[in-house]
Amino acid sequence: MSETGLSWSAAWRIARRDLNARFKGLRLLLVCLFLGTGALAAIGTLTGAIEGELASRGQELLGGDIEVEVWQRDLTPEEKTALAAYGTVSGGTRMQAMARAGDEAAPVELKAVDERWPLYGRASLADGRTVGAPPAGQAWVGQGALDRLGIAVGDRFRVGTAELVAAGVIAVEPDRLSEGFQLGPTVIVAADLPGRAGLTAPGALYQSKYRVAFAPQRDPAQVQEELEARFPDAGFDYRTRERASPGADRFVGRMGEFLTLVGLAALVIAGIGIGGGVASYLEARRTSVATLKVLGATSGDIARIYALQIGAAALAGTIAGLIAGVLVTPLLGVALDGLLPVETGFVLAPGALLLAAAFGLLVALVFAATPLVRAREFPAMALMRARVSPLARDRAALPWVLGGLGAIVVLVLLTSNYPLLAGGFLAGAAAVLGLLALLGWGLRRLTARLPRPASPLLRNALANLHRPGSSTGALVTALGFGLSAFVLLAGIQTAIDGNIERSVPRQAPDYFVLDIPRDRGSDFAALVRQQHPQAAVNMVPTLRGAILAYGPKNAMIRVSELEEIPDDAWPLRGERGLSYAEELPPGSRLTEGMWWGPMYQGEPQVSVDEEFARAIDLEVGDYLTVGILGVERTARVGSLRQLEWENMGFNFVLVFSPNTLRDAPHNLTATIELGPGETPRPELLRALVRQFPSTSVIEVGDVLAQAQTILGQVGVATFAAASVAVLAGLAVLIGAIAAARAARTYDTVVLRVLGASRAQVMAMQLAEYALLAAMLAGVALLLGTGLAWLVITRLFEFEWLPHWPTILAVLGGGIGFVLVFALAGSLPLLRAKPAQALRSL
Amino acid sequence: MTSPSPAISARALTLTLGSDAAPVQILRGIDLDIPEGQICALLGPSGSGKSSLMAVLSGLERASAGALRVAGADFASMGEDDLARARRGRIGIVLQAFHLLPTMTALENVATPMELAGEADAQARARAELVAVGLGHRLDHYPTQLSGGEQQRVAIARAIAPRPRLIFADEPTGNLDVATGHEIIELLFARRAETGATLLVITHDPELASRCDRIVTMADGRIASDTHAGVGSTGA
Repeated sequence: MSETGLSWSAAWRIARRDLNARFKGLRLLLVCLFLGTGALAAIGTLTGAIEGELASRGQELLGGDIEVEVWQRDLTPEEKTALAAYGTVSGGTRMQAMARAGDEAAPVELKAVDERWPLYGRASLADGRTVGAPPAGQAWVGQGALDRLGIAVGDRFRVGTAELVAAGVIAVEPDRLSEGFQLGPTVIVAADLPGRAGLTAPGALYQSKYRVAFAPQRDPAQVQEELEARFPDAGFDYRTRERASPGADRFVGRMGEFLTLVGLAALVIAGIGIGGGVASYLEARRTSVATLKVLGATSGDIARIYALQIGAAALAGTIAGLIAGVLVTPLLGVALDGLLPVETGFVLAPGALLLAAAFGLLVALVFAATPLVRAREFPAMALMRARVSPLARDRAALPWVLGGLGAIVVLVLLTSNYPLLAGGFLAGAAAVLGLLALLGWGLRRLTARLPRPASPLLRNALANLHRPGSSTGALVTALGFGLSAFVLLAGIQTAIDGNIERSVPRQAPDYFVLDIPRDRGSDFAALVRQQHPQAAVNMVPTLRGAILAYGPKNAMIRVSELEEIPDDAWPLRGERGLSYAEELPPGSRLTEGMWWGPMYQGEPQVSVDEEFARAIDLEVGDYLTVGILGVERTARVGSLRQLEWENMGFNFVLVFSPNTLRDAPHNLTATIELGPGETPRPELLRALVRQFPSTSVIEVGDVLAQAQTILGQVGVATFAAASVAVLAGLAVLIGAIAAARAARTYDTVVLRVLGASRAQVMAMQLAEYALLAAMLAGVALLLGTGLAWLVITRLFEFEWLPHWPTILAVLGGGIGFVLVFALAGSLPLLRAKPAQALRSL
Repeated sequence: MTSPSPAISARALTLTLGSDAAPVQILRGIDLDIPEGQICALLGPSGSGKSSLMAVLSGLERASAGALRVAGADFASMGEDDLARARRGRIGIVLQAFHLLPTMTALENVATPMELAGEADAQARARAELVAVGLGHRLDHYPTQLSGGEQQRVAIARAIAPRPRLIFADEPTGNLDVATGHEIIELLFARRAETGATLLVITHDPELASRCDRIVTMADGRIASDTHAGVGSTGA
């Protein structure tokens, strides 16, 4: 006879007998784990796949091991020689241009490449040909350009003053991602075309891009350092294969982080469901536990047997979730097409799957430990007495709960790209759970002390909230979390929608026009007014240059010597738009110093954006040096300005006095605002392109539509992710209500025996849940909108623009769902005759 | 020659339940010795403490005070888990409501106490015991597929298969019709006779009580009377 505990194999033998093949009684646990781990598996697999693609295909995506780009000039021979020392160099030009065919015109991204392009990867056309640079006089064209121009392959079109043949449609452009956001379809031409077409005259806005394929292989970061040291004031922007597309990296990283947090939120919510489900399951097995104890099982044996059962169900739910997560990933890729920087098909990411499984099982442990430990204390006497006194609180579960929580925290912090944010989220989730538990306790105390209402209906409803054995605590947690999840979703969605709407400024110009020759400004304005007499034309000189130094006159800081550039000092990075003006530009407000005034001929001055000045401790009276086309120009800071970025007008961080930059090669940039009620017409575009062939015209409406589309897709992604959390919340709500209803069955049957009508019994239930929901509505609103605010403003860095009527309506809908479900579940019991129901007890 | 130690020896046993504010004294100083192999009936009106006394003697409940030795073990000093271990193989219990495990077959139900005790041949012994109680053709049936009488046979087999020294039966025929009840009692006594176990049975049936070696009557938590049957009365 064994005096020691039951062996694991013997415990599993007994556990398996009691475990229904369809896990009846543990389905809430299964569903919650399925949702939670499935969400994490899908998210982890998708972001891992994308990040893996970005990392492993860095050379191809960038088109080299390192890229050097500079505005408005080509590299000098010395600079080219320096690059060639590292390996094979491929150079080219990028710029906005206008393509014309007959009367049609379209803005395009002109990409001029040399015979060595692409250095990595393969470019191919729609007809299947693998190609390099197009031959002289020919172009590879994006389908969108053909459509806009109304031409086909083989037809002729013009760019600037050059005539080209559309020799093929671009199918695969291996380095497309690193080209960044584009304002028109791509047209690939030979390297010398922009010069021949008159598009790279001094002052024109174009980028020279040079990529290097290292031979032998080197560390790109090391090469970048060497080049920075050798050419500190060249105004170069660098990119390496490790960060071929920083924008895409950042987007995917943030999106992945948000989605992971949502997945974790779903799992936390699922955990509540797991705890409730396991508690109900074990409560229903009270008699079996007591019987096993009568037969000689110790509490340790009971713990093993039921831990194995719950573990088996948890494993089944987790595995099902992982499989679903993997299968759903390609579908996610399709749904987010256009938003994702690379294509993803079916992917198996073992690391992501293991992590999702670990989170799922740890959450199951944390939430199932307490009811399991309590169940092992069910006394054998439960068989001999109809109801035994409630079990005393047992702290034996605490080590398991704390251990599980600790493991979750460690895993999250180790695997997160934003550990502070993730840690804050976990702390917030724990605080919310604690707050809800406290609220449940408080509600019970409060309702016990309230005066007893005269109405028996209300009296019973109130009593049900605080009587011994009531499930108020579990209901408050489940309802609080579930309703908060609804509000969270509504808050996020409406705020994103608000940002989309806001992206259309109240007054936006209809056109942006680049590269207007500076001596033809008046001709340009006249042509516009010929087509649209009421149009407002605003023209400013535009140059590109990099900030090289700043600070007090005798203590200027060289930007090239800075180890790190903080985020809010972004204008120090690379080249940017510069301008000069006689008068204070519209949309700017002077906050410090003085404007130089018309006809100013004194010391060169510059007016600086106030936010940028604060970021680098720049003051009125300090100096600033910029490099334009290799020439340094220094000006005194004469004033600081506040800019209004939202009006989509000209907002230059640096505006110089005319005598500082007037003599530098440059063109004009213009905005055209059509008269009231007028819409863009193709005639203006054709006329502009005909008379100003080197000019690029951008319809603002198209750009905003692109931005809105992207934001819209972000909205879709967040909706999909948050929906998982809501589904988990729904499952938890259903489980909590079902568990509470199971406990109420006995009362319902006896009330019916005593003569209560069905309507009276339903009214009592409705009153109880309505009281609870009313008390929780405020809490859910606060929690849900608070979390939504965090996500929108801190993670996405959008503005907080929720639509309150929608949020309140969603909250109301959630409460309505709770009430309907609570009542619906009672119907079968109420339909049965009292005697019949009594026999089923 | 010293007399062998009794199967059950209780001194000043008390049991108090309820909260400190409203305690209820269920057993009030029970003194009882039951020799090995004796068949003892426990009688008394509802609320007299019969079931509670059986619960304490079988180790299902801890006495509030007093001394208790059962099958050589000091039950009074044991915790819940120790009592569970003490029950393994020593004590078999048959309850009025059968209390079979609903998700296990008849065979599995009978095997379970022996499996809990780590017996290697639990299944074989369970099968043999079920055959002995006439359910060799119902081994793989679940409790819901068995009649009340059949369920109680399974319960008896489960209690006896480990060959315990003591068997406790709390109104084993309470949920059965008269004819089935008689069959069950015959079976219980027959199986007990084969093993020689001490039997303590709670009953309202005077006929059953008359078949026992001893009748202990309880009232208000105390032993009101304790009569032994005539010499030669073995209950067989």
